[in-house]
Amino acid sequence: MTGGPATGWPLWRRQIAVLARQEVGRSLLGRRVLPILLLALMPLGIALLRALFLPESQRAHPGHTTTEFAQIFHFFLLRFIAFFATALLFVKLFRGEMLERSLHFHLLAPVRREVLAVGKYVGGLISAALAMAATVALTWVLFYVPHGSLGFSYIASGRGLGELAAYVGITVLACAAYGALFLLAGLFVKNPMVPAMLFLGWELLTPFLPGYLKALSIVHYLGSLEPVPVSQGPFALLAQPVPGWLAVLALVAISLGLLALAAWRTRALEITYSVD
Amino acid sequence: MSTATISVSNVSKFYGEVLGVNRVTVDIPPGLTGLVGPNGSGKSTFMHLLCGLLRPTQGTISVLGVPPDRPEELFRLVGYCTQYDSFPNGATGLTFLQHTLALHGLDRRTADSRAREILDQVALTEAGGRRIAGYSKGMRQRIKLAQAICHDPRVLVLDEPLNGLDPMGRAEMIDLFKKLARDGRHVVVSSHILHEVDLISDRVIMIHGGSVVAEGEIRAVRGEITAQPLQVLVRCDRPHAVAARAFELPHVVEARIIDDATGVLLRTRDARRFFPELGRIILDTGVEVETMTPADENVHAVYDYLIGATGGGS
Repeated sequence: MTGGPATGWPLWRRQIAVLARQEVGRSLLGRRVLPILLLALMPLGIALLRALFLPESQRAHPGHTTTEFAQIFHFFLLRFIAFFATALLFVKLFRGEMLERSLHFHLLAPVRREVLAVGKYVGGLISAALAMAATVALTWVLFYVPHGSLGFSYIASGRGLGELAAYVGITVLACAAYGALFLLAGLFVKNPMVPAMLFLGWELLTPFLPGYLKALSIVHYLGSLEPVPVSQGPFALLAQPVPGWLAVLALVAISLGLLALAAWRTRALEITYSVD
Repeated sequence: MSTATISVSNVSKFYGEVLGVNRVTVDIPPGLTGLVGPNGSGKSTFMHLLCGLLRPTQGTISVLGVPPDRPEELFRLVGYCTQYDSFPNGATGLTFLQHTLALHGLDRRTADSRAREILDQVALTEAGGRRIAGYSKGMRQRIKLAQAICHDPRVLVLDEPLNGLDPMGRAEMIDLFKKLARDGRHVVVSSHILHEVDLISDRVIMIHGGSVVAEGEIRAVRGEITAQPLQVLVRCDRPHAVAARAFELPHVVEARIIDDATGVLLRTRDARRFFPELGRIILDTGVEVETMTPADENVHAVYDYLIGATGGGS
């Protein structure tokens, strides 16, 4: 064939880019984006309602807004919206194509199965991170808008932007870790939403678990990175917070470990649509 | 492992307790090879195994020296047109091929021009910009074929590639397969239409119940079926004379004048002795022979003899 196909690393990089581009297109420009949009509209709707109906007395005092957003972010955006958005996006990377009976086209290309898994994961991560980071950023801005000039000056201030960057960073890390988990789940079980719900239950229980069990959750590390501490309620068991650098390292390690498992699993992947 | 053949050695595939293929051992040389068997006989499983979409429970496979569990090498050599009739959501014929070629490592411009070239080859030039979801069955078959041949593979595995094509399309595709085989490629074609397999291929692999019941050149396979006498049709000006003399031969079990009385159908249990003795009869009687052709050295007859009684008449 003409055109001088690349080989080795340059080829793998190109293949990952091709696969990722395709996944981003499917996830954000196709039908798959509808449930993600619905999820994203929920916090935006809440922020909009808050902006409309915030009592006049509170508009002059944006101090509480930082705490309010921190709680919305932790309990709703992170634990619910980002969790389900990544679940919806990542389980479809393989399982969705098995159900559509089109996965074999990828397996008929001269692509190492590991490269296929990484390419799809990168595509899913870009899609999830774009959608969720935009949702988080817009929700955050909408929280400060009702406070008028005070709010805008906080948004534009170094502290405000630092807070926003931290929330966006946590969201991207959440997409990376949950995404790797759901990619793996989609490769192992026919209905990955069952393990997703079980894991959600585990994540919800995390505040009430002793420290050594908290370490087995993802939200524990994400929570450690939040710029504003959030109360976990009167029944939560307190644990030593994880240092920021260690939390990031742990989340990156979890993501890479789960991705490595998923890549290993794809090596044994077979096309048996009739039983999938 | 030979780098010139497709070698399948003692390969079995079980789906749990269900047998897919059982202890299959075949070597497939370059050229056109027909894969024949009733529905559910294991043809698609066999093709999936060749292309690594399934992993054998036991045994080894080598495609020109490459094992199917190395897709990065295998699919530089192999193109596979599956029976599945589904495509990535939203893909047009052109984007589908561009994506495939990009995964082969071609840059965007080269992938685009090659994709257009292949669309032209499978007569989908005008439909290339349309979504595949809106294609007819025949067009989907063509785009699958385009995907299988777009990277100019040395091995083509085609699962029922003529399904859904109109007669003109079938003829064009058969010509294309023959051309590819003449170029020295391995072309493995499955079909349940025996007449087509006969037209397409010189070699067959007959598969039934997951096992290979016969393989090789059709004439050689036929020759080994000694339980069924060989049938030879002799078209000549005096078929009665030939029939009378041939029937005296001890290995000829039937001599029947055909309906329009322009020939005689002879059945013999000993092909090696039969042809020299038939030549002598023709010389002695002085009949004028128009044609002399084996009547059951074709896939249909061989299939009937080997599988027909139990095969469910695929």
